[in-house]
Amino acid sequence: MSYEFDFSFLAERWPDFVAGAWLTVQLTVVSITLGLVVGTICALARIYGGPWLKRLVGAYVELIRNTPLLVQIFIVYFGLSSLGLKLSAEVSAVIALVVNGGAYTTEIMRAGIQSIQRTQLEAADCLGLTRLQTILHVVLLPAMERVYPALTSQFVLLMLASSITSQISTEELTATANLVQSDTYRSFEVYIIVAVVYLALSALYRVAFWLIGLVLFARKRKLGTAL
Amino acid sequence: MKTLIASVLVALMSLGATAHADTLDDIRKAGKIRIAIDTAIPPFGMTDDKMQPAGSDVETAQLLAKDLGVQLEIVPTTGPSRIPNLQTNKADLVISTLSITPDRAKVVDFSVPYADHPSVVAGLSSIPIKSYADLDGKKVAVVRGTTQDTDLTREAKGAQLVRYEDDATMALAFASGQVDILATARSLLPAISKKNPGRTAEAKITMQTFYLAIGMRKNEPQLKAWVDNWVKTNLKNGKLAAIYKKYHGIDIPTDQLLKAGS
Repeated sequence: MSYEFDFSFLAERWPDFVAGAWLTVQLTVVSITLGLVVGTICALARIYGGPWLKRLVGAYVELIRNTPLLVQIFIVYFGLSSLGLKLSAEVSAVIALVVNGGAYTTEIMRAGIQSIQRTQLEAADCLGLTRLQTILHVVLLPAMERVYPALTSQFVLLMLASSITSQISTEELTATANLVQSDTYRSFEVYIIVAVVYLALSALYRVAFWLIGLVLFARKRKLGTAL
Repeated sequence: MKTLIASVLVALMSLGATAHADTLDDIRKAGKIRIAIDTAIPPFGMTDDKMQPAGSDVETAQLLAKDLGVQLEIVPTTGPSRIPNLQTNKADLVISTLSITPDRAKVVDFSVPYADHPSVVAGLSSIPIKSYADLDGKKVAVVRGTTQDTDLTREAKGAQLVRYEDDATMALAFASGQVDILATARSLLPAISKKNPGRTAEAKITMQTFYLAIGMRKNEPQLKAWVDNWVKTNLKNGKLAAIYKKYHGIDIPTDQLLKAGS
């Protein structure tokens, strides 16, 4: 009950926090982008693919969604290197985050794609759109617009979950916190600072997603109504 | 509702009161002592084949609790959270390969040392390393926040330090081939080498010899006096040396430790 706060170490250590936060941003921007690609392809495969492809994607999604992220990270980092494939901590972290994020994105995108009514596809057919055009303009974009809030929440979660990669020596924000904490012994202060930085990052990501949404969904931008 | 508020207030007041009382009194009153031990660093702290905590630090803690006449509650900890556990009053003592350093002495008090603890840079026998300069451009695994981490950060500027959260993760990184060189306590090398017979960690450079001591919160004169006296007694009667020998297979320099502690 007599704790004295001391943030004086910040004067010297703030570049460490900036570097850590920057690596967190880099890791998660790459992971989110690739995860969205993986998830979208898997969602399409799960709906339009053949029976075996559907089962394969289903198995991937259930395997990943029912095992802890930390275990997945350890398997990529330690497992692959035991087999002779040495990947750096950063690359391992991105692979694990993409595989993990991709599985969740698959399910979200699947929900979106399945919400597109059959009549829309028939209309696209009548208009003479090619299969690729139909998937791109009639299926994917409106599907994404419908599930965009769920999708962005998942991406922010992914950013927060990237803190776990500190366990395999990735020097991101949480690892930086652990390092500064072990040097200064000001654990309470350090984790308060890091919590604030994560909060700011989350806010930043949400604003960025909102702006991306404005660009992507022209219809919504002009009409302002939900699909 | 009123009773709820009242009970919360009473709880808060008693919290404030215990924070200022003497820890040794509190331990005796509670009939139990909370000792933070990292049980993932064999042979100091580990889990034996019956899933019970074992190791030289665990046995030291058990002996201390018995001599104090209280029950032992092991607070599981990791290297970086040993001192925070003390500071946040989650543990009364730390007996967990805690070596005495000036930086740590600013925030916690140390007892008389109960063992010595040389740390080394080790690696595969195929890698020639004779000095810190040989580490230039090479990946060296350390556990974050340990004295090896601090020392190498300062001394081996050319080395690329790869920081893990605990010894088990670092050992796994070495066994799985993520790193070929690591800086750690000499006492850990046999356990690390056992994980993968194809990858034996060989001591290359002796970095520094530390003394291990029992850590406690600052300004606890009664507790410190009791613990100091307990360590001295058990160094002299050979009990601490026997515990160390049982797990590490080597003797501790009892006279040197007593001299360092006086």
